[in-house]
Amino acid sequence: MISPKEVPPNSRVLTMSIDDEPVDFRDGETIYDIANRCRREVPSLCYDPRLEPFGACRLCVVDVEGIKNPVASCTTKATDGMVVRTKTKTIEKYRKTLLEMVASENRNLDINQLSGYSSQELSELLDQYSTDNKRFIGKTSGKSNKDDKNPFILRDYDNCISCYRCVRVCAEQEGDHAINIINRGFQTQISTEFGNDLRDSECTFCGQCVQTCPTGALSDKKALRAKESPGEIKKTRSVCPYCGVGCAVDILTKETKVVGIQPAMDGPANEGALCIKGQYAFDFVSHPDRLKKPMIRQDDGSFRESEWEEALQLAANGFQEVADDYGRHSVYGIASGRAPHEAAYTMQKFIRSNFGTNYIDNCSRS
Amino acid sequence: MDNEKQFQSLSNEAIIEQWSDKDAPLLPVLHAFHDRDDYLSDDTIKFISKALKIPVAELYATITFYHHFSREEKGKKNPRVCTGNVCCLNGGNELLEELKKDGATAMPCAGRCDEMVPVIIGDDVFVGKNSKTLKNIPTPIPQPNPGKYEECIFRHIRNENRCHIEGYEKTHGYVALKSILQKSPSEVIETITESKLAGRGGAGFPTGLKWNSVASAPGNPKTIVCNADEGEPGCFKDRTIMDHDPHALIEGMIIAAYATGSTRGFIYLRYEYPQTENILQTAIDEAIKNNYLGKNILNNKDFNFDLQIRRGAGAYICGEEGSLLNSLEGKHPFPRNKPPFPVTHGFEDLPTVVNNVETLASVAPVIRKGAEWYQSLGIGDLPGTKVISLSGDIQKPGNYEVPFGLPLKTLLNDWAGGAIEGQTIRAVTMAGLSGGFLSGEDLNVSLDEPSIRSKGSFLGAGGIIVFDDRRNMFEVAHQAMQFFAHESCGKCFPCRIGTQRLTERLDPNKIEIDLETWTNEVNEIGEVMKATSACGLGMAAPNVTESLQKYFHDTINTYVKK
Ligand SMILES: Cc1cc2nc3c(=O)[nH]c(=O)nc-3n(C[C@H](O)[C@H](O)[C@H](O)COP(=O)(O)O)c2cc1C
Ligand code: SF4
Ligand code: SF4
Ligand code: SF4
Ligand code: FES
Ligand code: FES
Repeated sequence: MISPKEVPPNSRVLTMSIDDEPVDFRDGETIYDIANRCRREVPSLCYDPRLEPFGACRLCVVDVEGIKNPVASCTTKATDGMVVRTKTKTIEKYRKTLLEMVASENRNLDINQLSGYSSQELSELLDQYSTDNKRFIGKTSGKSNKDDKNPFILRDYDNCISCYRCVRVCAEQEGDHAINIINRGFQTQISTEFGNDLRDSECTFCGQCVQTCPTGALSDKKALRAKESPGEIKKTRSVCPYCGVGCAVDILTKETKVVGIQPAMDGPANEGALCIKGQYAFDFVSHPDRLKKPMIRQDDGSFRESEWEEALQLAANGFQEVADDYGRHSVYGIASGRAPHEAAYTMQKFIRSNFGTNYIDNCSRS
Repeated sequence: MDNEKQFQSLSNEAIIEQWSDKDAPLLPVLHAFHDRDDYLSDDTIKFISKALKIPVAELYATITFYHHFSREEKGKKNPRVCTGNVCCLNGGNELLEELKKDGATAMPCAGRCDEMVPVIIGDDVFVGKNSKTLKNIPTPIPQPNPGKYEECIFRHIRNENRCHIEGYEKTHGYVALKSILQKSPSEVIETITESKLAGRGGAGFPTGLKWNSVASAPGNPKTIVCNADEGEPGCFKDRTIMDHDPHALIEGMIIAAYATGSTRGFIYLRYEYPQTENILQTAIDEAIKNNYLGKNILNNKDFNFDLQIRRGAGAYICGEEGSLLNSLEGKHPFPRNKPPFPVTHGFEDLPTVVNNVETLASVAPVIRKGAEWYQSLGIGDLPGTKVISLSGDIQKPGNYEVPFGLPLKTLLNDWAGGAIEGQTIRAVTMAGLSGGFLSGEDLNVSLDEPSIRSKGSFLGAGGIIVFDDRRNMFEVAHQAMQFFAHESCGKCFPCRIGTQRLTERLDPNKIEIDLETWTNEVNEIGEVMKATSACGLGMAAPNVTESLQKYFHDTINTYVKK
């Protein structure tokens, strides 16, 4: 689950009852947000705390005293004195039926974790309600678009459940409006304009649609290259080195290999957003062309492999000569955005304390 | 035809210029291109996207939502043939086959169920039984009220020239409007509240209360929207009112504007009524000329009301008020989450009255003759009248204005001549299709919500379709569910998937489950749809399967094996 919303500050504190317990909340909060903050774990499939409440999946329905039909808790604001029940027998039965209905339009429930951050949501809910896609057999709804010739995003809409989180994240978070909902009813499909490939749309390949997709219908093509590789998936929290925003990321590794990147939903600078570079451009880490030994340029312009000892000595001499001849401000350091933070730190230390100049920068300062 | 030619040749830029400074420009812009080119090309969509600053993927997607916008060259010229529940009885499917050579496609109920099968070609609607008998004829005028009950809506509709302002003014036209100018807006609302006039679009919300909420809501400008989408199969009353008494609607809207302090008005008219658009536009122009509309109405400073028609493009859900407002605003026409309601957050998030045609057309008579008079029109304690659209297997289909509380059997047998010679009534639908069926043996109800709701159905917008014993109710139910599946907007899971699964379970050729599984699945889906759907479409659709099981067990047993 993407972590619940924080309490909005500076509003009146009111009281309601959730499952027979009094609960304080702030004016303007939805029942869903309050309930989840109190660990009621109301299920959902169309919810993403970063997006406007939408009200599609109806899994979040709860009983409100005095209202005949259950209400969608994600779109309903709590009111003072409201009496809410989140898990009555009837409500739980509705949820199970809804899950079975939605699973019946879904081809595959076994989704590889590398597909994306939220990719297990549907399967986990089905497990939680001890059910699967064997009931309500009928036509499936999605039309796969696996041939979309882009290197990043697999569009396997056979698994799509039309929660429209991808469309909404693209519009509301990324502001690209690259994809939308065509047709209506059971015929709805996610599509770019005129059904074009993503490359011929407004898509910037930020990958946010992939990370919010609860079914793996949109998957991370690059990460999935490693689906057969041996080893468990390990997540390591880090910060994207490409630019100055400082997006938090989880680096996915299998054994010693980086296999994918996922945005950190709780990253203070990015809240689950990344750009194409932070999201997909990590192949250089283990690229065969990557230099493993220092190279020294010779007089004829060609390079010669050397040992560190020799290369460092040569560089040190060169720097020293320049500084001696032209003064300390004749040296200007630019750290590579791809260098890890420790290296970037060392770099500025080196420039500042060695030469006594503040001429130090990073290629991706923005 | 000079006018038309000029219009046909408008440049892209000229079309945009004509609309860009108006409210709710997207639909008219799309129609202007669609009318000019007979389809919406990729280039057109890209052009409009730039001009109106709507992301191209969003605009493209919104266009695909509407049934009648054509994306193929010359597509607008292809015939659309009604294959709705009633037209199926009248040879709609055969007519479609016959016209396929001209590129014909099917469309859901087009609101002419009391006539032969309607076919839309370009901007003309024809009706006929086969391609040779197709003709373009005006909407029938309601027959004189056979019950001798006093009417409100149809009182003057049969008068000559009623659709023009001279005819309308001959019998008290715009008298109500003139009379309220001496009164305060709150007095007007009080009269409407006292009359107990309630919404005639299906939900029956008290009209006075709605107006009062808009009048007291903060935010300006306020808007009056007339819901003339009339998409419910078996309903064709609003078209009759608009075609033969358009000024009654317009006067009602102006009074609503006065009462609520609204300055903008729209009539959201369904695509399938092109002739109605012309009639309404003529009436609006007449009203403007006579200073009933526009600025300083009847020389009252600061009483301004601008009224415009917006034509839909084929989507039943656009009759749902939230969806309608999104459609007007040029957004994807999904229903809106409620609360907030349109009375505070309507058109452009500002206070808005959304009222049905019949509701608004009742307003002027109520004002003129008083709240008590209106209340007294119903039978017993029930206030007012309702127009019922009656169609299907009945001697005299058509619109009837009945007092609330009239026994259904009186309408069917005494007013409408009863079943066709030699047949008996097997079932009638309620609320068009949304109320499901009542069986021919269970017709001892009166035409009012409490009575019909006691049978698990509802009166709604007042469409009643009759099926006699030649009809197979399983197939009728299948067609009805196909309609809901076709029209489900696709926003919420229970309805998007439920209407599809129920349609599959009603398809005589595709049932592969046994009766017990069938019953469990159909009921479970129905319950979830009723309890959790996001709007009335998904909540109402299971009435079809519920009533089928209640009354027509035998039919189910012949299709679903034990
Ligand atoms: C699926 C659906 C379709 C509807 N279609 C119409 C319609 O075609 N015309 C209409 O007046 N109301 C329709 N309604 C009801 C409107 O949402 C709204 O209640 C009505 O326009 C309010 O006007 P009234 O109070 O005068 O009835 C529909 C509702 C639903 C849920
Ligand atoms: S990758 Fe980003 S820009 Fe492209 S469709 Fe997904 S959310 Fe939109
Ligand atoms: S692709 Fe994924 S996120 Fe988008 S609508 Fe389908 S299931 Fe939801
Ligand atoms: S009930 Fe049906 S029509 Fe209404 S919002 Fe849900 S999917 Fe759309
Ligand atoms: S989370 Fe509320 S409807 Fe999906
Ligand atoms: S007009 Fe064809 S079914 Fe109503």
